[in-house]
Amino acid sequence: MSGGLSRVARLREVPVLSALIVLLLLTAILNPAFRGGEGLKAILIESALIAFLAAGQANLIIMRHIDLSVSSTAGLVSFLIGNTSMNNMGISVPQSLMIAVAVGAAVGIVNGALVAYLKLPSLVVTIGTLYLVRGIFNYLAGGVTVTADALPGWVAAIGSGSILGVPDLFVIALILCVLMTIVQTSTRWGRDLYAIGSNPPAAARVGIPVAHREFAAFVLNGIIAGLAGMLLLFRFSFADATAGLGIELYVVAACVIGGVAIAGGVGTAMGALIGAVLLQAITFALGALGVSQFWQQAVAGALLVLAIAFDRIVALRSTQRINRLAEAPV
Amino acid sequence: MAQPLLRISDASKRFGGVQALDRASLVVHEGEVVGLLGENGAGKSTLVKTLAGLHQLDAGVIELDGRSFRQGNPRLAREQGVAIIYQEPSLFPDLTLAENVFVGRQPKSGGRVDWSQMRARTASLFADLGIDLDPGRLARGLSIADQQMVEIVKALSLDARLIIMDEPSAALTNAEVERLLGVARRLRDQGRGVIYISHRLEEVFQVCDSVTVMRDGATVASAPIAEVDTAQIVRWMVGREITEMFPKVPAQIGEVILSVEGLSSTGEFHDISFEVRRGEIVALAGLVGSGRSEVVRAIFGIDPITSGTITMAGTRLSRHTPSRAMAAGISLVPEDRRLQGLLMPASIAHNTALTVLRRLRRAGLVRIGAERRLAEEWATTLRLRYASIDDPVERLSGGNQQKVVLSKWLATSPRLLIVDEPTRGIDVGTKAEVHRLLSEQAAAGMAVLMVSSDLPEVLGMADRILVMREGRLVDEISRADATQERVMTAAAGAAA
Repeated sequence: MSGGLSRVARLREVPVLSALIVLLLLTAILNPAFRGGEGLKAILIESALIAFLAAGQANLIIMRHIDLSVSSTAGLVSFLIGNTSMNNMGISVPQSLMIAVAVGAAVGIVNGALVAYLKLPSLVVTIGTLYLVRGIFNYLAGGVTVTADALPGWVAAIGSGSILGVPDLFVIALILCVLMTIVQTSTRWGRDLYAIGSNPPAAARVGIPVAHREFAAFVLNGIIAGLAGMLLLFRFSFADATAGLGIELYVVAACVIGGVAIAGGVGTAMGALIGAVLLQAITFALGALGVSQFWQQAVAGALLVLAIAFDRIVALRSTQRINRLAEAPV
Repeated sequence: MAQPLLRISDASKRFGGVQALDRASLVVHEGEVVGLLGENGAGKSTLVKTLAGLHQLDAGVIELDGRSFRQGNPRLAREQGVAIIYQEPSLFPDLTLAENVFVGRQPKSGGRVDWSQMRARTASLFADLGIDLDPGRLARGLSIADQQMVEIVKALSLDARLIIMDEPSAALTNAEVERLLGVARRLRDQGRGVIYISHRLEEVFQVCDSVTVMRDGATVASAPIAEVDTAQIVRWMVGREITEMFPKVPAQIGEVILSVEGLSSTGEFHDISFEVRRGEIVALAGLVGSGRSEVVRAIFGIDPITSGTITMAGTRLSRHTPSRAMAAGISLVPEDRRLQGLLMPASIAHNTALTVLRRLRRAGLVRIGAERRLAEEWATTLRLRYASIDDPVERLSGGNQQKVVLSKWLATSPRLLIVDEPTRGIDVGTKAEVHRLLSEQAAAGMAVLMVSSDLPEVLGMADRILVMREGRLVDEISRADATQERVMTAAAGAAA
């Protein structure tokens, strides 16, 4: 059906995915070392954590909110699990999950309550909790460093394992993003988020419980950030007071590049996942082409600006087209 | 006829010192379109908002389908079968039309939102009303007329019995109005009740089965449409004597200050030509949405024009911007002082001096003392009531805020002062002071162009009245010939 096909072509995820494919092909052509598949695998491993976090962040950006505290939450969780393991000669999966969910939910509840019920701006609130949690983290961690030998075997196993050649870490992120996309596109709860982000006063007028939705999305994002702390530990088998430092802006960038517009109302977790991979692939491609690391960051930044500009230009052009149609003689 | 669908009797509602509704009544039958008419402030909006569940009456009875209507809750109002189509609908731009219709109650199958069912149901509702729109497209970029159609379809999907259209045609083109009236008739033919609010009497005669006219919160008259004519309706609407005093100071009318020729802006206004002379107060009258504010915004250089010329004191203004307009001696006091006129948290002194900072500078720095002296002078001239000149303007009353806006623009000593709704929402005492001030400024040689919806104000203040309708200048009335009926008839567009 051509209608279905054109609907797919109009999806916001399509341009990002095309850019990603072109980029990977170009890199493979220009750098033979990339063709073995190891390069792709490295990209997936590196982007998994960002994509996982982006799944929760997307819900908030869709509602015109943001949560910058996720890097501190994830870092704290990774350290707490590692430290518990170090002190008790190991830790089980359920124990780790409990720590992740408890810490994540606690931060999420604080953020959510302040934003949803006290109507404080989420940018300011979560910059506050970003430093607050990082401060607590620094106090707890002190000079302690958790290394691989203090961690149970399953941590390293997941960190280096793969399923059908796809790294475990990426599989975990992919599953979360797929599930979250289904929630976003096919449940009333998810659809409410888009309505809220698209026109907040109108959402309240049609009876959507705006504050409850905001609160729930912040708590969910906190829990996802907590679980991301486990991914952080899997990935590095190492934790100290700097764990997770600075990744929050990569998460936001991945969302925006993947089509979750900062103005709200659009985008999906799958788009954010593609954005995360693209962001990582660019860094990787530049490295593979021999570009220095300083330039890699600059290019990642330029990409972010480009993504926003692209969105804006497309929107402007469609508005102009509509206006021209409106002015045309009937 | 049988038992009416809606019966409102003895409805009263008070907001502070204002009696918004005073024993008003309204009856709507099934399969009937009722035109609800009245001037701004007559109480129509309060009545509509009550039916929308936004207000609760102080006294009175509302019966819907013979049952007592439960007030004070928008959701409940909707469940009881009332739907409102506003002049400016607010859809969700990022959602499809189908989802806009079903937002918050999307059909589900197996726990998941059923997109194809949603699209199919929307498509069939569109087809019922003869609307040619794709349910799968996004609402972003939809014309206002189409947005209203989506709102109407939403009302039908909720099976609303009573549909209220609150000035739906104000922002529509003629073809769009025709389609809207067609839809209103279809709704009537389906046995629903429709309340149609409009200032355009032509439409009322085209679509309504009966009219109810309100004035000063009370229902003045109700009659089948066949038994009334335009003149009768206008008399009912205006009805009162002009009792307010307008301290009009006689002024020497001199040479032409502003001359506008063939001014057009696509979709806003067309071929506007007029002059304003030294010492003269010219009122730009017309209904909301007739293009008055757009014309003065264009003269001040805020909005672009597609053709025409603006000449100030013999010099043609080209590549027009607000700063060039100010340099040429034009000042504009905008309609919405909160949004456009004032910096609310800043002090009275700062706000007053904002337009003349250049004059108050020494070595690039603003002299605080000069700023305060200037503000105090104007505060005295305008009889501003304030505690300290350093107080933030947000602490002042609406009327006093308006005085600060005025002094801010008068401080530039403009040759042409444009005021847009200068006394909307301010109390009678302050209103008279604003009138006195405008009159004195004109007598001192300023040219004044005033946009106003307040008919007594227009008649009391203006030396000449220009009436706009649907983006065009339709009448020019001298002070001697001006009557409320003539202005109203020209603005509403019916040949009396």
